[in-house]
Amino acid sequence: MNFANHVKIRNEKFGTVVFDTLTEKIFITDQVGAEILRLIEQSRNLPEIIDVLSSNYDGERQTIEKDIFEFVGQLKSNNIICV
Amino acid sequence: MDILTKKKKLSHSTNSMLKSKTGSTPEGSNFNDYSSPLFIAWQLNSACNLGCLHCCEEAGHQMPDEMTKEQALDFCRQIAEMNIPYMAISGGEPLLCPHFFDLCQFIRSNNISLKIETNGEFIDEKTACRLAELKMRSVQISLDGAAAQTHERLRLRGDWEKAMAACRTLVSKGVNTEIVFVPTKFNIHEIGEIIDLAYSLGVYGFYTGKIMRIGRAAKNWEILCPSDEEYSKFFEVLQEKTAAYQGKMKVYYYPYDVVEELKYRLECPSASLLVVPNGKVKLIGPLPFICGDLKKQKLSQIWENYKKAWRNTEVIEFAKKVIADPKLLAESNNWRTVCH
Repeated sequence: MNFANHVKIRNEKFGTVVFDTLTEKIFITDQVGAEILRLIEQSRNLPEIIDVLSSNYDGERQTIEKDIFEFVGQLKSNNIICV
Repeated sequence: MDILTKKKKLSHSTNSMLKSKTGSTPEGSNFNDYSSPLFIAWQLNSACNLGCLHCCEEAGHQMPDEMTKEQALDFCRQIAEMNIPYMAISGGEPLLCPHFFDLCQFIRSNNISLKIETNGEFIDEKTACRLAELKMRSVQISLDGAAAQTHERLRLRGDWEKAMAACRTLVSKGVNTEIVFVPTKFNIHEIGEIIDLAYSLGVYGFYTGKIMRIGRAAKNWEILCPSDEEYSKFFEVLQEKTAAYQGKMKVYYYPYDVVEELKYRLECPSASLLVVPNGKVKLIGPLPFICGDLKKQKLSQIWENYKKAWRNTEVIEFAKKVIADPKLLAESNNWRTVCH
């Protein structure tokens, strides 16, 4: 997974801004979303991202996995990342 | 900690400077939330080879106090330091600026997304190759007619063939190319044809919206401004074409005029700055207010000035007067300083 060309990520006090400068659309996400974005930036694959978040957060692995899939799905459908 | 308790959804936010509107107002929707601008619109120079009747900047001759190359590069350095992700360079005609490529090189080497707005008349093979190497976000060419006669009637001393050739050359070099079309009484009837033409040229996107009543356009308003009926047909065609080209070419139009935009901005200023060729920073195109001077102040200070300026009574009152009497838009380039 990689960020699409011209997608920019910036951290702010209120969260993380994802700016697709090609479509000129802005998205905001929170700390957990920001962590997923950071892992994508580090070229981690989906199982690795699930491992990292499962070890950092309490909760059922299955639930965490479902949330991550959902989040990554949103990134894909908005062309923020390409696979 | 349960990840489900976190608001981890990717929530679509609002920034109408970027022409994206939703009804929601999540954190990050307010420009005050931002540590620095998200976008810089930079009118690099005032020199232009054309004398377009609808030019917002009243471009033509170089201004005597334009930023030097060193000052311009220092500005770019500050943009990089403040982690500003996206900027657009226009003019005048930006390709007439002798240090245009030095600036573009610096901006792109700092991984800042960059759009260039040009009349296209100085884009030959060599220039297109240089632009391609820089991997621009896009190069936007002004094309104001589906035929030479229409385009050149509006863009005095303009050459439609050269603008068309620029599009072809840029596309052939793999540059993300966009066409921008400003509707006036002279050309509004050609909207369907020009969108078809844009598609045949293989460009990435086609942009249009109502003509802005500022600069030279304000002076020529009576002869330029389309009627409500003409606009109604125009938007009808745009809707049809948007649907027809869905998935093939991006057709984008902004349905609001400059007064509607100003009304909205009074409530929701954008996280962006507009820099004019002498380094002064405007609050917004339709208002004459300057909130900073890059020759004297740091960009970070100007960003704070900008935030304050939108709460300034003089600004608010004048904006309301403009909304009530759009003829005052003709004052937009009679700059006056506020709040610094």
